Amino acid sequence: MNKGVIVPDGRRGTKSANFKSYMRRYGTLYLLLILPLVFFIIFRYAPMAYILSAFKQNNIFKAPWELPWAKNNGFEWFIKAFKDRTFHNALRNTLTLNLLDLACGFPAPILLALLLNELSFRRFKKITQTVLYMPHFLSWIIISGLALRLFAGNDGLINILYKRMTANPDASIPFMSKPNWWVATYVVLGIWKEAGWGTIIYLAALTNISPELYEAAAVDGAGRFKRIWHVTLPGLRPTIITLLIMNLGRILGSEFDRPLALSNKLVTDVSHVISIYVYQRGLQNSQFSLSTAVGLFQSVVGVIFLIAANSLAKRMGERGIM
Amino acid sequence: MYTDYIKQGMLEQHNVEVEFVSIGRWTEVDDMNTALAAGDAPDVCVTYSYPTIAKYAQMGGIVNLNDIDGKPLEEYKDILPNLWNLLSPTNNIYWDQNPETGDLWAIEATLAENARINTFIRKDWLDKLGLALPTTEEEFHDCLVAFRDNAETLLGADADKMVPYSTSYDIGWRNDLLFMAYVPDDAKDEDLYIHGFDDRHLLYPNYKEGVRVLNKWYNEGLVWKDFAEYAQDSSHEDDMMKAGFVGAFQHNWDYPYRGGDDSIQANLQRSAGDDAAYIAVDCFVNDAGVHRKFLAPPIDRKVFFPATNDEPLASLLYLDFISDPETIAFLQLGKEGESYNAVEGGFEKLATTGDWLQNSLNNIDYTITVNGLYLGDATAVTTALGYAPVASDLINVANAAAKADGRIVKVFNCGDIEAEQEYGTQLPTFRDTLLNKAVVASEEEFDAVYDQGMQDYLDNGGQAIIDERTAKMADIFGYTAE
Repeated sequence: MNKGVIVPDGRRGTKSANFKSYMRRYGTLYLLLILPLVFFIIFRYAPMAYILSAFKQNNIFKAPWELPWAKNNGFEWFIKAFKDRTFHNALRNTLTLNLLDLACGFPAPILLALLLNELSFRRFKKITQTVLYMPHFLSWIIISGLALRLFAGNDGLINILYKRMTANPDASIPFMSKPNWWVATYVVLGIWKEAGWGTIIYLAALTNISPELYEAAAVDGAGRFKRIWHVTLPGLRPTIITLLIMNLGRILGSEFDRPLALSNKLVTDVSHVISIYVYQRGLQNSQFSLSTAVGLFQSVVGVIFLIAANSLAKRMGERGIM
Repeated sequence: MYTDYIKQGMLEQHNVEVEFVSIGRWTEVDDMNTALAAGDAPDVCVTYSYPTIAKYAQMGGIVNLNDIDGKPLEEYKDILPNLWNLLSPTNNIYWDQNPETGDLWAIEATLAENARINTFIRKDWLDKLGLALPTTEEEFHDCLVAFRDNAETLLGADADKMVPYSTSYDIGWRNDLLFMAYVPDDAKDEDLYIHGFDDRHLLYPNYKEGVRVLNKWYNEGLVWKDFAEYAQDSSHEDDMMKAGFVGAFQHNWDYPYRGGDDSIQANLQRSAGDDAAYIAVDCFVNDAGVHRKFLAPPIDRKVFFPATNDEPLASLLYLDFISDPETIAFLQLGKEGESYNAVEGGFEKLATTGDWLQNSLNNIDYTITVNGLYLGDATAVTTALGYAPVASDLINVANAAAKADGRIVKVFNCGDIEAEQEYGTQLPTFRDTLLNKAVVASEEEFDAVYDQGMQDYLDNGGQAIIDERTAKMADIFGYTAE
């Protein structure tokens, strides 16, 4: 049945007339959409054609569709990567660092947002928030410089204090030079940099919780912690789930500048992640097919995690993101 | 000014228009990858990495210089007199010619200055402690111990900042003279070539024993403790030298003198007094009693033409023009009175700004066929005067020390080594990891750490390259190791 819409002159229009009037009213909005669409097509979708090079012979002088298929039905590069011990290490390190980041770094902004929310002195709250955002705007290169001045094994500030406190000139905590310590430093610096920034979205969600709920809870005799547990946290639940799903989608993705800047030759066993592998093999060693294959593998695993986490969330009665 | 000179010269002499395309000084491989893939690479390209060129060639992206308009390079010799004068046919022009197919993908530029590394020590500290310049490893070690034990005398309130000997994460380069003293003097060129693909000499025989000495020094508290934690590009170590906390180190032969007023030496004098100076000493002796240094062969950067070059002849003429002694002299010196003054036996460069400022030392990035000052008989004097305000005596001592008892290992042209293209760029990471871990290990763990690291290095491509080189040496030169 043709539903139609009421056009301005009051008559029931035909399909094309409907379309015309619809466009007359909203056409400018579509016009505005054209530019971003063109952007996405040219810079985001068209380059995806080059994913083909993951299955083709390696040659930068020809477009991938002109090239013959790689050996083993096109899967030569995938097989090669999975036989490569360096890649195994990179895969393991990426997973370890990301899981630790998730376990320690994900709850941090939630806790911080709860703390901020409980502050009643508004001015102090605003200043604290601003100070907490600041590290987000520093690049990892700068942070790595700061980190060395603080954490270096011998002449870092913390170790200088530690030496004075223990009155032992040889005392030193190997923050940057022993693999386990390095991983801890890596995770803590990540929290320091991003936790403050991460609170923004939670604080925004908190403003949506009706004050009446707090009042009702207070009337029922709920103390501060009970109110946080029974009112604030349930109010944040949809936001937490959404962010968790998005984080799981990046479980195999890896930052490049963070591990590269913080790493040194004593800890490459734990700091060499997939993005660095791709950089060394692809850009420095011109093996573009191999690095495309690895990148594709990363993305596919990421999408699988994203979908799985999403359907899990839906099954548990949450809304999910898709 | 310098680029105008080139453009004008090429236009007048050969009716060729020249356009310069700038790329990152330390990222040329990344930048060229992009340009080549996009098909808009310049007609003449330069890189330090031959495996990169070999890989491009394999993909069909490079002009075969022995097949320009169907003729080998030799046929163009007569129109390229300057190129043939500057470069040696065997050492540079045909160095990369494939012994089997005759393909020639690149020309090797010549290296005018083959001094590499020196050991530097604080002369004023030695004087203060009544010590002579060290002439053996043992004496050098004694100096370091004396620095450590007399930190309060030498540095006063800053005694806890004392670093008797400093190095960086680049252990292989920064301790080369120490390690090379452990390589047997009778090691054969053939074996050194097979095991010489690592430019830090990691696989030379007995290398481990040299590293063991450094490990011992480290555990004695003689070496900068945090060296491994500071990455590439960190200026922290330089800053310590400038502030006067570092007693000795090994580095590029002229390292503390580079940069004139901002050099380590000039800064050191400002912070520790006019007497303070780093002086080059030559104190590491091998089993034959020789101060052996392994110097680089006179080859350096590699010039190639991408396949998109449709006028290779014009590009060859460019190489000839840039190799003309007159062109080289102008690019390296500039104009008399503006950027240099003639002195007895050479030239003294002047501090310049604006048009006469060189964008690389001696404009080496324009003189693509020669790296280093190339002024014939005037070179030595000009070099020594080129570091003002650093005294020219220090430069002369350093230059002589860096070349004394130098050995240049013969290179055998075995054509393309496939394993090198595959693993060449990832191996330095394994090397550095191995050496850093081994140096900071305790003396008891040293062997285990070193052997494990070496195993990783070999497993990740090192062995494959050795095997391929060994096989090719047997095939082409009939050489088999004893």
